[in-house]
Amino acid sequence: MEDISGALALIGYGLAAIGPGIGIGIVAGNAVQAMARQPEAANMVRTTMFLGIAFTEALALIGFVLFFLA
Amino acid sequence: MDPLVLAIECDPAVDVICTPEYVNELFETQVVFSIGGFDVNRAMLLMLLAAFVTIGLLFFAYRRARVVPTKYGVAVEGMVGFVRDEIAIGIIGPEGIRYFPYLLSLFLFILVGNFFEITPFVNFPITSRMAIPAFLALLTWVIFIFVGFAKNGFRYFADIVWPRSVPIFLRPLVGLIEFFSTFLLRPLTLAVRLFANLVAGHVMLSLLLVSGFIFIKSVGDIGARSVIGVGWFTIGLAIFLFEVVVSILQAYIFTLLSAVYIQTSVHPEH
Repeated sequence: MEDISGALALIGYGLAAIGPGIGIGIVAGNAVQAMARQPEAANMVRTTMFLGIAFTEALALIGFVLFFLA
Repeated sequence: MDPLVLAIECDPAVDVICTPEYVNELFETQVVFSIGGFDVNRAMLLMLLAAFVTIGLLFFAYRRARVVPTKYGVAVEGMVGFVRDEIAIGIIGPEGIRYFPYLLSLFLFILVGNFFEITPFVNFPITSRMAIPAFLALLTWVIFIFVGFAKNGFRYFADIVWPRSVPIFLRPLVGLIEFFSTFLLRPLTLAVRLFANLVAGHVMLSLLLVSGFIFIKSVGDIGARSVIGVGWFTIGLAIFLFEVVVSILQAYIFTLLSAVYIQTSVHPEH
């Protein structure tokens, strides 16, 4: 069997990105739904959406940092 | 050595894959000149340029207050008004006007720094050097902690590590998580978000545009390569447009989150 070489940290970053990826999808999808239902609230929803995305992203960002540290 | 210089010096007819001799060459910028013991490189000069552009942008728009502003004045006023109404007052509340100068300078500096990524002949976002996002995030960190203690006294800290709104048996756990997320993860994620987005964009653009350039350059040698090169160059230009959106969005998100963190210190328990 051939040797598999490369950085394990890359796989770690990939794993860390799964959860936030799904989470951001849910946040953005629901925000689009809310904006479609109530276009007059679009501005407020957009701000809140960016906040939600920013907080959800945190885990992926920690994975990104650990990728450099490992 | 500049990656672009490396790319031009590389001859694809001889080397199949062009690699720098030492990987750090990709991350070190050349020293332009030195004053005393300090080396000044291109990134530092660009930082100064970003600061001057930010000041100039506002200075020339507000040098003379006009009843009917020029087109340029309207554009700057729109941006300033957006930061004031949507971010400072919209997030923090009426007293957010006190933090508006900080948020505006943060927004404009990051915006100008990000736009250096897509400015021709500059092509280097200063926010992709960790020092800049880290320093700006620390500045926000110091401000929101200071405001929290100044407005609420010691209760600010006590409410974070001993939250009274959750059941008593959960308080140590929630308090620990809140402590880490407020005092350690907030500045970290704030800095890394900006840094990671800009590094990713810069690397993508450099790879696509520079390698496309090398492949197109090898027209006479191998015909098929120049076709691939044109394709890559086209994708590079598409990502170029995408990076415009990323630059604006990241500047907005950094400022927005700074405002939210200050807001949680001004009015805790929301």
